[in-house]
Amino acid sequence: MSRILFTAAGCARCSIVKKFMRGSGIAFEEHDVGGDGKERFGQFYRANRSAIFRGRDGIEFPVLAEDAAIRQGVAVIIGHLHAGTRLDGFIGRSGLSKGWVGGLHVSGGDPAAKDALVAVLGFLKKNGLKLQLDTDGRRASVLKTLLEQGLGDRVIMDLKGPQALYSALVGEAIDAGEVLRTMQLVTRFPEYRFETTVAPVRRPGGDPVAVSYLTPAEIEEAARWLKEATGSHKQPYLLRPFDPQACSEDGFKSVERLPANALFRYRSAARKHQVLTESENAPW
Amino acid sequence: MTYPSVYPTGATLYDPERCWNGYTVFQAKEVGALLIDMNGGEVQLWKMLHGMPNRILPGGFIIGSTGERSTAFGSQDGIDLVQADWDGNVVWRFNRYEYIEDPGEEPQWMARQHHDYQREGNPAGYYAPGLDPLTDRGNTLILSHKNIRVPRICDKPLLDDTIIEVSWEGDVIWEWVCSDHFDELGFREDAKNLLFRNPNWLQSGGGMGDWMHINSMSVLGPNRWFDAGDARFHPDNIIWCARETNITAIIDKPTGKIVWRLGPNYDETPELQQLGWIIGQHHSHMIPRGLPGAGNILIFDNGGWAGYGSPNPGSPTGFRNAMRDYSRVLEVDPVSLKIVWQYTPVEAGLPFPVDANRFYSPFISSAQRLPNGNTLITEGSGGRIIEVTAGHDIVWEYISPYWGRMLKINMIYRSYRVPYEWVPQVAKPRQRRIEPIDVTRFRVPGASPAGPQREVAVEGVLPYRPDAALCVRTDHDKDIFR
Repeated sequence: MSRILFTAAGCARCSIVKKFMRGSGIAFEEHDVGGDGKERFGQFYRANRSAIFRGRDGIEFPVLAEDAAIRQGVAVIIGHLHAGTRLDGFIGRSGLSKGWVGGLHVSGGDPAAKDALVAVLGFLKKNGLKLQLDTDGRRASVLKTLLEQGLGDRVIMDLKGPQALYSALVGEAIDAGEVLRTMQLVTRFPEYRFETTVAPVRRPGGDPVAVSYLTPAEIEEAARWLKEATGSHKQPYLLRPFDPQACSEDGFKSVERLPANALFRYRSAARKHQVLTESENAPW
Repeated sequence: MTYPSVYPTGATLYDPERCWNGYTVFQAKEVGALLIDMNGGEVQLWKMLHGMPNRILPGGFIIGSTGERSTAFGSQDGIDLVQADWDGNVVWRFNRYEYIEDPGEEPQWMARQHHDYQREGNPAGYYAPGLDPLTDRGNTLILSHKNIRVPRICDKPLLDDTIIEVSWEGDVIWEWVCSDHFDELGFREDAKNLLFRNPNWLQSGGGMGDWMHINSMSVLGPNRWFDAGDARFHPDNIIWCARETNITAIIDKPTGKIVWRLGPNYDETPELQQLGWIIGQHHSHMIPRGLPGAGNILIFDNGGWAGYGSPNPGSPTGFRNAMRDYSRVLEVDPVSLKIVWQYTPVEAGLPFPVDANRFYSPFISSAQRLPNGNTLITEGSGGRIIEVTAGHDIVWEYISPYWGRMLKINMIYRSYRVPYEWVPQVAKPRQRRIEPIDVTRFRVPGASPAGPQREVAVEGVLPYRPDAALCVRTDHDKDIFR
């Protein structure tokens, strides 16, 4: 198998990947895109433009080309090199810089691969990177392990909504006790916050199934649940607007946006139980 | 500003035939919300009800605040905004804007209200025919504070101004945050540079920059400009002014964007140059429909010291680099920017500029247009309220007798005149003319009577000249404004 690693001069994440590969005995060919690999990367980029992610700060390095497969970013590459596809659900695109690694989805992966996840995150942490985890309440046991191992500098919990609608919001049967345990675990990390996207939900029981946005009363209920679970009415809690056009689920793309100022009523409702609730401005 | 040590307080002038008679409400320093009649009779005191400002609503209701946050942690943060009835019962309260945990204080919700608010139904916060504020329902716009950090404005913590709309039930349903619109404020590079280094630094709360200091906020209400198709003046749009930056602006309610602005610079067009540099102004608002001058902008242009910009001899760093030692009340056409009416030291009959500082309040103050065309002016720092006619005659004057014990000043932040009908609990008071005292003859007990005891003639003396020169020029000198 051919492995080409495109690196950038001064890129600490590139050094970490190289260190992992060398330590694991994985052979690779390196091209420094700022040096003699510039032309080679230019050709590679032109040929694979659509497959290469460009973030706000430009292309995320390192980039690993394994035959036809392209992987980007320190966590994704090391996760893949360590465990193949087994960590795909746990590790995604980071998008963070300045020493932070994100895209670490505690709820998204296979719990059976937990040990591999711990090994990869442990390597990243040991090499000086700070880890931002996210969770929607599922896989509380994975989160607990990461907490115990010190493998999370910040955790963001996407609290989907009130308990009664949680399964409908996630799209699968949810153990409310597990969500509750997650809320409790989240508060034990060094840095954390809770977020809820004021999203449309398929209302259970109707025929046809009715779709409507979470209501202020339901957000209030979510905030109350958060208070009861954590024993605090002062959790950092952010409400976010839902953009149907950016939604990956086709069924919601035709839903109308909430008016730009709509989140204030939700914020007022949530503040009855979570006094520090803030809302994110809608970009529209 | 040149006060003798002894002078009368209470009502000092009153011409009932030329006044727009009614009650006047104001915050009596360290006493409470005071309602007075035209003769200065104290009709009712809502004892210790704070108010920035106090306002009377139809039915004898009053709006104010139950207290202020410690200045160790905040600056001018009203704990809440309440509506109380004639008997002092609180019938509406808002405080759920921010949950505050100040060290050593009980954690509590606070409105952080300061300087202004407006109840639905009435745009500018004072009487206008057919535009009564709601008293048992409706939304309230509130000018509030928020602590922020915005490194591109300043590397220090900032005290920001926000405007929130609150439902009768107490839900915040709209919010405007001033710093979000920094790029729309028209600052030049020198102002931005200085603002970054000194954002009007306060020691409160560990230090913060009160960078804008918005001190008034009201709704435009229905107006002729919008009726003629000028969308900048949509009736829902909001006008505010900011003391530290010399800015008056109108924001578009749906987007929050600034759609009309006066300041911070007054040298950029001939119209602005003609208007003159407005400094530290207060109570900029659009005169409501139904009142003389409706649609024009009424401004109490304090003078004093304000603004960010280039250094000059009076401002070595450029902080508060605009200065003037007298005030002006300006009524400005918002489209042509021409002054339609004004009350300045000149109209007050004070030799200019040598005695101009006798009409001067370097902070607070307000102006209210009355239905008969008079204007109620609060010259706040000296605790003086006057009602002047369109022709600039003073037909009513009142000096607050309430000096604070902690802050020894009889200041009045703002006052409002309301119709007698808005206070149905008491009978319309008797209105008694107060003739002006001839101060040249008035003597206090113990003083000698006026006039020399003996006069003698000196041979050869000439009459005093009408064009006699002073050490500085005055408006009697024809070339002074050349």
